[in-house]
Amino acid sequence: MDPVALFTLQLLNALSLSALLFFIALGLTLIFGIMRVINFAHGAIYMLGAYVGVTTQTLTGSFALSLVLAPLAAALLGLAFERSALTRLYAREHSAFLLVTFGLALALTEAIRLAWGPDPRQAELPAALAGIVFVLDEPFPVYRLVLIGAGAAAALALWLLLHRTRLGLLMRAASQNAAMTAALGNDVAAVRAAVFALACGLAALGGALAAPLFTAYIGLGTSVIIDAFVIVMIGGMGSFVGTAVGSLLVGFAQTFGNFYFPELALGATYALMIAVLLLRPGGLFGREE
Amino acid sequence: MSSTMIGRRAALGAGVAVLAAPAVLRRARAQAGPLKLGVPTAITGTWAALGAQVVRTCRLWAKTVNAQGGLLGRQVEFLFEDTQGVPANCLRKAQEMVERDRVNILLGLMASSEALAVMPKLAEWNALFISSVNGAGSITAEHWVPNAVRANISGPMGARALALHLRDSPQTDYFCLSLDYAWGRSSVETFEGLLRGIGKRSIGSVFAPVGTRDYSTYIARIRQANPQALYIALTGDDGTAFLRQAAQFRLFERMPIVTETVDMLFTRPAGEAAIGLVGGSRYSFAYDIPANAAFVQRFRAEYNELPDTYDGEQWQALDVLMAAARRANSTETAALVAAMRDLELSSVKGPLRIRACDGQAEQQGFVVRVARKEGFPHPVPEVIRTYPAAEVTPACRSATFA
Repeated sequence: MDPVALFTLQLLNALSLSALLFFIALGLTLIFGIMRVINFAHGAIYMLGAYVGVTTQTLTGSFALSLVLAPLAAALLGLAFERSALTRLYAREHSAFLLVTFGLALALTEAIRLAWGPDPRQAELPAALAGIVFVLDEPFPVYRLVLIGAGAAAALALWLLLHRTRLGLLMRAASQNAAMTAALGNDVAAVRAAVFALACGLAALGGALAAPLFTAYIGLGTSVIIDAFVIVMIGGMGSFVGTAVGSLLVGFAQTFGNFYFPELALGATYALMIAVLLLRPGGLFGREE
Repeated sequence: MSSTMIGRRAALGAGVAVLAAPAVLRRARAQAGPLKLGVPTAITGTWAALGAQVVRTCRLWAKTVNAQGGLLGRQVEFLFEDTQGVPANCLRKAQEMVERDRVNILLGLMASSEALAVMPKLAEWNALFISSVNGAGSITAEHWVPNAVRANISGPMGARALALHLRDSPQTDYFCLSLDYAWGRSSVETFEGLLRGIGKRSIGSVFAPVGTRDYSTYIARIRQANPQALYIALTGDDGTAFLRQAAQFRLFERMPIVTETVDMLFTRPAGEAAIGLVGGSRYSFAYDIPANAAFVQRFRAEYNELPDTYDGEQWQALDVLMAAARRANSTETAALVAAMRDLELSSVKGPLRIRACDGQAEQQGFVVRVARKEGFPHPVPEVIRTYPAAEVTPACRSATFA
């Protein structure tokens, strides 16, 4: 294969992987930004998105509808969970939050196993997305280009939400100083609920988008959540721009690392994280706390 | 016959030492009751999906046999225990079954390492082991014991069938992709040896960590190496993810993809993406054999599903047990072991002969290709080559083909 073509393909591969990672890492960082805690259930929500997406597509035949229903279902679940369980924990130690979200992760995984069974689920991509394009005479799946576009669109939409809407303003305010935001007469509880639901919806959208590549299976969440944690650490906890940059760095490190140093495949991501944390302990765009 | 034996044993028990009486009486009671078959297998853990096949097929077999009046007039009852595929667990559970439940026939062991842990104890336990899953060559070679038989096709036999098929194919340069752990690495090593044996070569290999999701970078590597064919040793979710992405990159159009064993557990979730995959086959519902057609029909009626690899292998192992019990007219260990020698029968994979020298069932070797087929919701394996037993069975007590 021509070296330029190879490099271009790898570039596109890295971008599509980054896009997939971005959806789940973004939700994690949003929740951290406003609640100062890691949501352990995020991987399970991502997996739920994959299952709901595949089932929607199997029942209705519409991939587009699966990209609507999966995030919607996860957002509603997230909202219900935040209102019923998490809202009681904000005044407590962070460890309570970790335990409860970890519990949700376990319960959700088992619920999915009961509802869908232990076998992986899959649905075929619609013909329009299943094709290939030729990039420098090499076939490249259209769907991976769609993923890159979806990742970029999500980044743009989130940036607009954060910087151009009142909800975004409140989210940023609550992340800087929740007590002051509440004292100024804003409903911080509603902002928290909205952020949690939004983050769950994003994770589920990521899961639904990932299903055509990986299928929906028990354990899908566990494998991806570790990468997402790493991204959030690299980018800086709670930083939107940091998450975007972190997703790209991890996507590129994995794609190019596995290619040139396949024996060190698992190490590339962690080497990157260690290097970043040595230079900037708070992450690239984060504050030290 | 069995009732006179019980009478004799009970009389003997009553007549001999008082100390031994409770044990002998318990044995006599056990003899009169159902025939208990011990299945220490992987019900949870890595191999749970395979263990589930073993368990459901044993249940179906018990139901079928019991409806016909049992085995030699005795109802059959399976005792299942979870080993999680761990040899130490398997040894302990098997021992419990033998000592507590008076089991003398063990089946359905999952990992070869479990079988190898149990086999040295068989003589001491006076028990018989019929392998239905275990592939390691040494089970019927250097580690064979007379109380063990292998009804299933061994790993080397499966590899042999695939090698015979590839010998006749035009491709000479292969690239290998496998999971980075013991099984994957040994599978590639075996395959590379097998290629050398048929005058072909491996031009490179790459090992992906277990749990790899995005295979695009490995696909790029394969394309860069530009082999004429690709060999994969991937299982479960990893195999499924690779097949889907390989199909999305149209890799099948560039080169044939070959795998050690085609198993529906990983080809079914891959959907259309598995079409074209060629590999060895331990068992498939697609084998065109009358006994298999009957089994598949019964299985689908019971479970509304197609039997998979270890369903068929387990059924065949139970057919071996039935044939031996009928030949011996007994389910005592020594009588069964004697009856297994050169036992001939026909089961779901066609004619079988248990050879006396190492307990291996000589049987046909199959090579399959995944294809779309009328009447099935997902692509299924179809048989492309069948090799007679003589071509795929190694010499006695050997795991290699000289």
